[in-house]
Amino acid sequence: MKYTIEAKNLGRVYKTYTKKEGIINSLKGFYNRQYTEKVALKNANLNIEAGKIVGLVGSNGAGKTTLLKILSGLIYPSSGTATVLGYEPWKRDNDFLKQISILLGQKNQLWWDITPRDSYSLLTKIYDLNETKAKKRVDDLAQLLQCTSVLNTQLRRLSLGERMKMEIIGSLLHEPKVLFLDEPTIGLDIVAQNSIRNFLETYVKEFQPAIILTSHYMDDIAQLADQLLLISQGEIVYDGDVEHFMQKTDLKKKLIYRLKNSTEEKEIVFNSQQLTQVLSDLSKAGEVADLKVEEVDFEEAIHRFLEAESGAR
Amino acid sequence: MKKQFTAFWKRNLALANLAVVTNLEYRFNFIIDAFVQPILSVGIELLLWIAIFKTVDATGLIGGFGRDSYLAYAVWAPFLGRIAISWMYEAMMVEEVVSGSINTILTRPLSFFEYYMSQTIGYKVITTMFSMCVPLGASYFFKLPVFYDRLPAAFLLVIYYLFLVHTMSFIVATLGFYLTRVRSFTLLKNLSLMLLGGELVPIDLMPKNLSELLLNLPFSSGVYVPLAFITGRGDWELLYKGFFNVTWGLAIAGVVSYILWKRGVREYTGTGA
Repeated sequence: MKYTIEAKNLGRVYKTYTKKEGIINSLKGFYNRQYTEKVALKNANLNIEAGKIVGLVGSNGAGKTTLLKILSGLIYPSSGTATVLGYEPWKRDNDFLKQISILLGQKNQLWWDITPRDSYSLLTKIYDLNETKAKKRVDDLAQLLQCTSVLNTQLRRLSLGERMKMEIIGSLLHEPKVLFLDEPTIGLDIVAQNSIRNFLETYVKEFQPAIILTSHYMDDIAQLADQLLLISQGEIVYDGDVEHFMQKTDLKKKLIYRLKNSTEEKEIVFNSQQLTQVLSDLSKAGEVADLKVEEVDFEEAIHRFLEAESGAR
Repeated sequence: MKKQFTAFWKRNLALANLAVVTNLEYRFNFIIDAFVQPILSVGIELLLWIAIFKTVDATGLIGGFGRDSYLAYAVWAPFLGRIAISWMYEAMMVEEVVSGSINTILTRPLSFFEYYMSQTIGYKVITTMFSMCVPLGASYFFKLPVFYDRLPAAFLLVIYYLFLVHTMSFIVATLGFYLTRVRSFTLLKNLSLMLLGGELVPIDLMPKNLSELLLNLPFSSGVYVPLAFITGRGDWELLYKGFFNVTWGLAIAGVVSYILWKRGVREYTGTGA
């Protein structure tokens, strides 16, 4: 079978400067720098077909973004090989770049001072697209994402959720065959998260791109991904079915809240199924001024899952 | 091939347009850059030359040129100097590399060099269109010695020189792949260019050996050569030499920037320095 994305023994090592505290060590470091090597990714193997969404899950620093950056051509690997659509990504061939898109949830990729429509017009020229078709595509995507009304507002004046929708339209304008989504719903409220999830689900069914999705929200992965890659300390430790992982893992959530007239943030750790009960208990505790729900440490959940898996064998 | 050429021009015109739109968005910044800074520099230079000419001997000449010739130089030099130097875009390029926001460009089918080159040209063209009315008006009003028919050729050299300036900015920006703080390089480079380009003092007033050396370097083509050409201190031969010097300067800077870029992106971690 011909895969859209293939990687074999992919690895990346970062070299970082280390210095002990104090002025003497600063002076020593001025002429004699000490470097240490940190393995961000080792021996990663993966095969991804067109039309599949692959969820890439791991804790902070596990190597998710490094893998995305290598596959999108942003950085070179230290070892191994990879091809995306038949190209070596880090060679950044223009024909390759015209067929991929990377969306980094915490970074703006459209132009801050101009309207999204102006940005799309510029992207139309950068990707050498047909202008009429590109305009229609913007309108269609904006309709799907329900954000047509803000297309002519400067990007810097938009809310985070609206900006993310604009970024998504920008990343899909050239109909990429491969899409790398790094935390596309980070920082968004539940309504915006749902809206983006639903949109991506519809989009993949219609256009069949291969997508690698990283997210701190397991809900993103559960709803969207066909295949799951678990990454821990730079290694892909599981490549398999999302449902299997969800069934076997007791993924806990954390409800962080603050009561009215209090500055102290409190938290309750609970199982997903207990949400209704937790909210009911919370409403009895007093008037809630602020609350948010977060996933609890992935590393621990992955560890528990792997232990259960090896026990089952 | 023709399609690629058309796409190239469309893309670069759109980027130049982006620079114009973005900069006109920040009106005060634009007014300060296009008018206030060069006008202040002109004021300082005029006062300096008027004071110098009060002490001049009976011939009324310095280095073979009279008061009006120096006043013309003083009126034009800061404005040409604004075109032939890159502060803002170089700072933006450095920031892109150091902060990692260059990722957006690296994952799109266009080069970092081209992206900023087109914007620099777009910005310089719009700035020039507005700001040049000041030296033109002053030269006309005070009847300063200016060959107006030479202006297009002189501006052509300045624009050509801008490619060299941009390539040097590109070199400084690529240093961001290796070093965390490279902003001091911009200051060092630009102050050197102001001196070597003749913006502060006309090169023909410098000691003979030094002025000969500077006239054989490409940096004089940013301010001194075009200015000497339009004020009559130099002729067509000087202008042609300016074009020649910029060409070999571009060749050397091009090779250096290519090597630094190739090695830099290999080292790049995708998160900035």
